[in-house]
Amino acid sequence: MKKSICSIILLVGTAWLLPAQAHHSFAAEFDLEKPVELQGKVTKVEFMNPHSWIHIDVKNAKGEIEKWEIEGGTPNTLFRKGINQNTLAIGTEIVVEGYQSRDGANRASGRNLTLTDGRKLFIEGSAPVNQN
Amino acid sequence: MQTWRSLQGCLSVVAMLLPALAAAQPAVKMTPPNLTGIWQAVNTANWELEAHAAEAGPVPSLGALLAVPAGMSYVVGDKIPYLPAAQAKRDANRAQRWSADPEIKCYMPGVPRANYMPYPFQIVQGTNTILMSYEFADAVRTINLTDQGPAPAKSWMGWNSGHWEGNTLVVEVTDQNDQTWLDRSGNYHSDKLHVTERYTPLGTDMLMYEATLTDSDVFTAPWTIRMPLYRRQEANAQLLEYKCIPFAESALYDAIGK
Repeated sequence: MKKSICSIILLVGTAWLLPAQAHHSFAAEFDLEKPVELQGKVTKVEFMNPHSWIHIDVKNAKGEIEKWEIEGGTPNTLFRKGINQNTLAIGTEIVVEGYQSRDGANRASGRNLTLTDGRKLFIEGSAPVNQN
Repeated sequence: MQTWRSLQGCLSVVAMLLPALAAAQPAVKMTPPNLTGIWQAVNTANWELEAHAAEAGPVPSLGALLAVPAGMSYVVGDKIPYLPAAQAKRDANRAQRWSADPEIKCYMPGVPRANYMPYPFQIVQGTNTILMSYEFADAVRTINLTDQGPAPAKSWMGWNSGHWEGNTLVVEVTDQNDQTWLDRSGNYHSDKLHVTERYTPLGTDMLMYEATLTDSDVFTAPWTIRMPLYRRQEANAQLLEYKCIPFAESALYDAIGK
């Protein structure tokens, strides 16, 4: 019994590490029934494999800042579309459409990203492309 | 006879003009030296860039094995010119070097550290690109000798642009991330680091390596390290695999469960 409690604690304790590190299935992590559209300012971009992460500050209805993490494709898929550290410089205003994580955290798999110049780019989060 | 004399005269005029004609030719483009081969630093810079005494290693039971060898400074002017706050961070890094050094984690070592780790690296020289491939962690970097535009992202081994100045290969390295250290003693940099490297052949089997580090977040002024790199002489010298991620897993993840 002691051992099983210990494993549960370990599982819960390490689960938060997974989104940023694992190469996961979309369904395990995100929910197609929770589409989100977020407007915010870039605070940090992690160009890394297998998924890049765009961190943005989003102002909610109450005027408070919420921190969101948006999953995108690999660095190379983003570079080929012209998304790089120059287009996503810190402070850049962007609009992101995607799907929120199943656990309701401020984390989403990105689908489309719109820049202030109107360019709309598919950022290849892990959502299945043949849906929606 | 008359004809022969005038022919002789004509020939001597041509002979006098020849050097002038040669000088008037456009300068022949100098062929850069070929740095292709396997190179390695033979020094203690990876332990500490500044002068240091020998000291015990991190595992007392291993005695003299893995202890720190002494070394003179590889820094021109001996000391790294840290800003006061950065000096404090360097000292904090140093205090936890046996757990916080990115080398422990098998991270790619960044530039210039990759060049003086105790592992060989290979230079493969092309006309417009030069590959530097490192045994440690399979790190690589491609030096572009033509304009490659701005870096798309910061990376472990940076954005490398090179050119030749006579016999010297000059490489400007920008856009490295801030996750690497400069040695095992906590010397470090921010992601603003700009490294200017100079590789100058001294004979066929030795390069003088210089790297000037500029980083206004960490240092008060640019500073330079200098050391020779040697060509590995073994007939069967080659890069072998040092895929260290499995070696680092226990150090990284035992704390969160085996």
